[in-house]
Amino acid sequence: MKEISHHGPGLCVKFYDEFVYAGYGPYIEQYNYKSGELINRCRVFRKNKVHGISISSNGYILAYGARSAAVCSLSDISDNVSILQEERLLAEWITCGEFSADGNKVFLLTCYNKVIISDIIGTIIGVKTIKGERSILYSGSIKPFSDELVYISAGTVMGGVLVWNLYEESIVHNLKGHEGSIFYSTISDNGKYLASCSDDRSIRLWDLKTGAELTIGWGHTARIWNLKFFQDDRKIISVSEDCTCRVWDIIVDEDGKSVLLQQSNIYEVHQIKNVWGVDVNSDHMIAVTSGNDGRLKITDLIQTSRTGKETGSFSIQKIQDELDIPFEKGEIIKGFQWFSFGLIAVTSFGKILKYGDVNKKWTLELEDKRFSSFVIVSGISSKNIAIFMNNKADILLLRFDAVGNLQLSSDYNIKGLKKSTNCLVSIFDRKSIILLLESPNPRDRLIFLKIDNYNLDILQEFRFNRPDNFVTTCMEAFEDYILLGSRFSTIGIFNLKGSDVDPYLIRKLTPGDTITSVSFVEIEKKLPIFSVTNRDGYFNFITIDLKRSSCKRVHFSVLHSNKVSKGFLEGAYIDDKNQYITYGFKSSLFYMYNETNCYEIMSEPCGGAHRQWNLFPDGRGFVLVYIKASDLHYRKIREPRFPAVLKNGLHGREIRDISILKSQPYKNGYLFCTASEDTTVRLSHFDQDTGDITNYWLQRKHVSGLQRCKFINHHLMISCSAREELFLWDIDQDSSSRPYISTRATLPTSSDIPDLRIMDFDVKFLLNSDSFLLATVYSDSVIKVWSFDEATNKFALLIEGRYETCCLLNVKLESVAKQLYLITTPTDGHVVVYNITDYIPYELADNFQFLLENFNECKTLPLPNYITKFLVHQSGIKTFCTDSESLPRTIKIFTGGDDNAIAMNILKVDADSLGIISSSSSFIEDAASSTITSISLFDKNRKLMMTSVDQLVKVWDVTGDDLVPIDKRYTTIADTGSLDVVTLEDSSTLSLIGGVGISLWKLAF
Amino acid sequence: MGKSSKDKRDLYYRKAKEQGYRARSAFKLLQLNEQFHFLDDPNLKRVVDLCAAPGSWSQVLSRKLFTEDPDKENTKDKKIIAVDLQPMSPIDNVITLQADITHPKTLAKILELFGNEKADFVCSDGAPDVTGLHDLDEYVQQQLIMSALQLTTCILKTGGTFIAKIFRGRDIDLLYSQLGFLFKRVICAKPRSSRGTSLEAFIVCMDYSPPKNWFPELDVNKSVTEFFEGCMVTKDESSNDILPAWVEEDRVIAEFMSCGGLDSYDSDATYHIDDDLSSNIAKISLDPVQMPTNPPYKKALELKRSGKLTRAI
Ligand SMILES: C[S@@+](CC[C@H](N)C(=O)[O-])C[C@H]1O[C@@H](n2cnc3c(N)ncnc32)[C@H](O)[C@@H]1O
Repeated sequence: MKEISHHGPGLCVKFYDEFVYAGYGPYIEQYNYKSGELINRCRVFRKNKVHGISISSNGYILAYGARSAAVCSLSDISDNVSILQEERLLAEWITCGEFSADGNKVFLLTCYNKVIISDIIGTIIGVKTIKGERSILYSGSIKPFSDELVYISAGTVMGGVLVWNLYEESIVHNLKGHEGSIFYSTISDNGKYLASCSDDRSIRLWDLKTGAELTIGWGHTARIWNLKFFQDDRKIISVSEDCTCRVWDIIVDEDGKSVLLQQSNIYEVHQIKNVWGVDVNSDHMIAVTSGNDGRLKITDLIQTSRTGKETGSFSIQKIQDELDIPFEKGEIIKGFQWFSFGLIAVTSFGKILKYGDVNKKWTLELEDKRFSSFVIVSGISSKNIAIFMNNKADILLLRFDAVGNLQLSSDYNIKGLKKSTNCLVSIFDRKSIILLLESPNPRDRLIFLKIDNYNLDILQEFRFNRPDNFVTTCMEAFEDYILLGSRFSTIGIFNLKGSDVDPYLIRKLTPGDTITSVSFVEIEKKLPIFSVTNRDGYFNFITIDLKRSSCKRVHFSVLHSNKVSKGFLEGAYIDDKNQYITYGFKSSLFYMYNETNCYEIMSEPCGGAHRQWNLFPDGRGFVLVYIKASDLHYRKIREPRFPAVLKNGLHGREIRDISILKSQPYKNGYLFCTASEDTTVRLSHFDQDTGDITNYWLQRKHVSGLQRCKFINHHLMISCSAREELFLWDIDQDSSSRPYISTRATLPTSSDIPDLRIMDFDVKFLLNSDSFLLATVYSDSVIKVWSFDEATNKFALLIEGRYETCCLLNVKLESVAKQLYLITTPTDGHVVVYNITDYIPYELADNFQFLLENFNECKTLPLPNYITKFLVHQSGIKTFCTDSESLPRTIKIFTGGDDNAIAMNILKVDADSLGIISSSSSFIEDAASSTITSISLFDKNRKLMMTSVDQLVKVWDVTGDDLVPIDKRYTTIADTGSLDVVTLEDSSTLSLIGGVGISLWKLAF
Repeated sequence: MGKSSKDKRDLYYRKAKEQGYRARSAFKLLQLNEQFHFLDDPNLKRVVDLCAAPGSWSQVLSRKLFTEDPDKENTKDKKIIAVDLQPMSPIDNVITLQADITHPKTLAKILELFGNEKADFVCSDGAPDVTGLHDLDEYVQQQLIMSALQLTTCILKTGGTFIAKIFRGRDIDLLYSQLGFLFKRVICAKPRSSRGTSLEAFIVCMDYSPPKNWFPELDVNKSVTEFFEGCMVTKDESSNDILPAWVEEDRVIAEFMSCGGLDSYDSDATYHIDDDLSSNIAKISLDPVQMPTNPPYKKALELKRSGKLTRAI
């Protein structure tokens, strides 16, 4: 058994030269932060995690974590897969480690406020403590000012920071002010300040000379874990449980008397919970953070001022002054379009203005009174075309050259609309664009104009009937079709080549109201796929068979359904790295978000969604233009100077279940899904050789912590959680770019108890069908059996009953001897068996693997009494698996319990009476030293893999009467709680093990 | 232990309210006692309850030692001392102390309160603030136990009992092995009232018998690790001049015992209000069982409520 990869919390990060060194589980990973490339991954500890790293001026690195410490040269870390021979084990937890000023000594501060001083090779030089102050510390740091002067700052659990002089072993200050445990404290390089944070969620700045509390910084909404002074001790960066990192300016007033901590920026850097590590490179002004989600994130601290050209804003007064022409009273900007040369804007009095982005000058391009009271501005930035429309269906088209000189203007009045209030434009083909004019009158038709993008001539006009309840909000052209998004979550498809005067309609595509974007993504199996976003946060990928569709029926299917975590969703696109990028508003912020890897790309405090705004592609990225307090602002969004992430990470909290889609490999590995305590389900991929994980989707449909997820066939998956949530998902793998996943059905809920949990489920399929029988077990001891019908996508309740009152943890459907058994394990340590053969409208196919319909009437029956139950474990059976294939008329049941034990139990079905004889054939009471959380059969049911909370992975041979251990390994994944196994074609086996993080193992016996 | 909706439906929560306990934890001690009967000893006189706030274990102890003693006059020599970082409202016949049990000075103070007398029973239900760093949380938890054990070795009579809350994480077998040096029997017990989904369990250490050649001596200048040096030696100690290399330490798996009986309520189950067994206690109104605590982040909560803390700037 060998660990191929490890993904889990990153506890510490450090910049050095052009590298980031990250403590990642028991490894140190070294990245080039300019290229994002992983240079090496070096194992430094056997079991412990790297909590801290220190690098000396003469090229040595010290890693410490829990009771372990190791020192080696930086090149050892770059060149080796492991430096385990350097690992030392202390008697106490190491709270902090640091090199001396000259780099020749190592200081290790333990959690009992003792400092061990050693040389580089580990010879102990001295031990220092403070008399009478030996209580436990949560945090501490070491500040070597010189070879003679070293300060220790120690954070106690009762609100005090003890500052002491190492060599004198004397207390310098006992800083009191915080409440609760001190989680971090650090001393500035210049020796002026000490900064600390505690359970009280404040940051305090202290005068290191006098010990006076200078100021308090409030802002974080949860505990703060780490602090760092940077930029010559003028700033502090903090990271917290609230997923943010924040920058604080230390503001000293002129006479140097009062000091203020002012929060100058907030970045949401990690998911769900806990940012642990932070470091800043002051030369480049970038921060690196690591979190519980396993992500290593780079944050540009001067994203909006790196070149000095990223942002700009103009008041009406400023524009007027520069143009030197008088504006009317109350004249304001009414619309704008950004081009690579700059901005074209129109005022409420019809002045069309140009702002040159190169010469930074405003000019008056022309004045057209027709566009003074009402005007809509649109355009195609890549073709340098701006379009103006008023409410009388007058349109003006302007074409510029690449540097912004007006080349051509053209105007038209379009007949047939009583009023025009909406104008949208889109590229149609290489030569032309398409313009939509819409009237507020629902009886007016929708008019499309095809316009030559060089001479601006109208090439063709199309008129369509406007459907009921259709208010256009966005437009996309694809081949000869125009797709319009509308309110009421409707899409209209207009066939420009066809004879229909009515569009094809898709109504109620997603929950929510306004469709904010429809955009073509790719062709899959000859059909186009579109991404569709809804302002209320929902988004879909749909495939439409346009050729077969008509006004009567649209042939489309939903490949993907999801929603964003919060805020309004205004649009989305796939970027050049095949990642899905969404944008919209979160309260007063405009944001862009990398949905594939779940991090924010940028945000801009623009005042909120009700502002006039637009996002323009300009060939080098995007430009956001908006009006706030009647000033015009722009913000350019460029590829980040440094990679945004060095490592993507997975879930923010514990992974409760893992399921590998085993039926077919996917891109040199497999697709798998994970169900997490963080309420999300992820669909990801692992590479079977490198163990690298690629994220595809994070599904947010569950609102409570997940219990289980499982692929039930080659494309269907089920997940369940508390609040009685159970969803059936459909996975589409036909696209070469990415898989898609959509919710296919939702299990009906039955009770008004909000915290009723669905603990587990199992299925049995109908022959050659996607219809199946589903068993669910609940925390109130209820057992239900349902049928799912693939045609209607509906669940029907067949059997309902209750075991006793205790919680049921697991369920399996097994068939032998043409009987169908439901086996469940409650928290009372029993295995309970029901025979439900006569209670379902199906019979078993000859191989017992599938069901056949036998046309019984479908109605809900009460659950029969169990036919047998037997006690196996002292308390809850946490996990079990069954095997009905190895022995005739026999079900082998393997169980793992809260009582540290695993067992093999045999259920034999008597041929004549169909009665059951049960026996426990093997019981290992000390299989682990703590709860067994997951077991799984593999190698044709000949071996069993097991995980337990004490972080052990064990493999047992189960072919005989006894369970025989064959291998045992330690896993660095804490809260080890789930596993799945897949056997490859070369008959080697891969296993994913999940908990706080995930690791991939290769097994060969 | 807030009053979430889950707690409200929790039968142990209701039962605690009904019986006047400050926390549902009381039933963990009671169910442990059902199995091991350490509180039923008529000679039980002096006990220490460490990490005791809000105080339900102290209530159980106070009832067992005083209220339920048939010989009510027999209060001579009886003593209950309860210690916690948090303040505790008074409980009859219990001396409370607000202090950090990992601080050797705290232990010195408890010894002082006992005078020269030995205790019959020491318990600790301590749990640190969980940070989310599993290894740190488990370590600190084990250190609370080691501190409790340190006091225990100074004060517990030979043959006495020590129980403590544990989290069965990755190094729990290391702790079992260390306890084996001090007690004849060590069992890991899980009361039914402790949720199956949590790693919580209790070590029940019976028949205290320290090593013959080791004499516990509290020194306020020594950490708990240093205190136990020479008692639990499992590795080569000769290396006082070099940072010791990594060794595989001794690990032992303690016997597991579930207690509380299968007829007691299942703390993982969702009960219906009309379930028979809960009907008599379902009607009890649901005020908080314990007094409101004074969290360190009170000020931060106030600022948040008044909109002064934000996630966005
Ligand atoms: C689960 S509660 C105890 C409940 C108690 N047994 C009862 O029944 O009411 C855990 C307690 O451990 C306390 N604690 C944690 N660390 C401590 C320390 N270092 N010293 C003293 N008490 C501590 C906490 O303040 C908390 O009140």
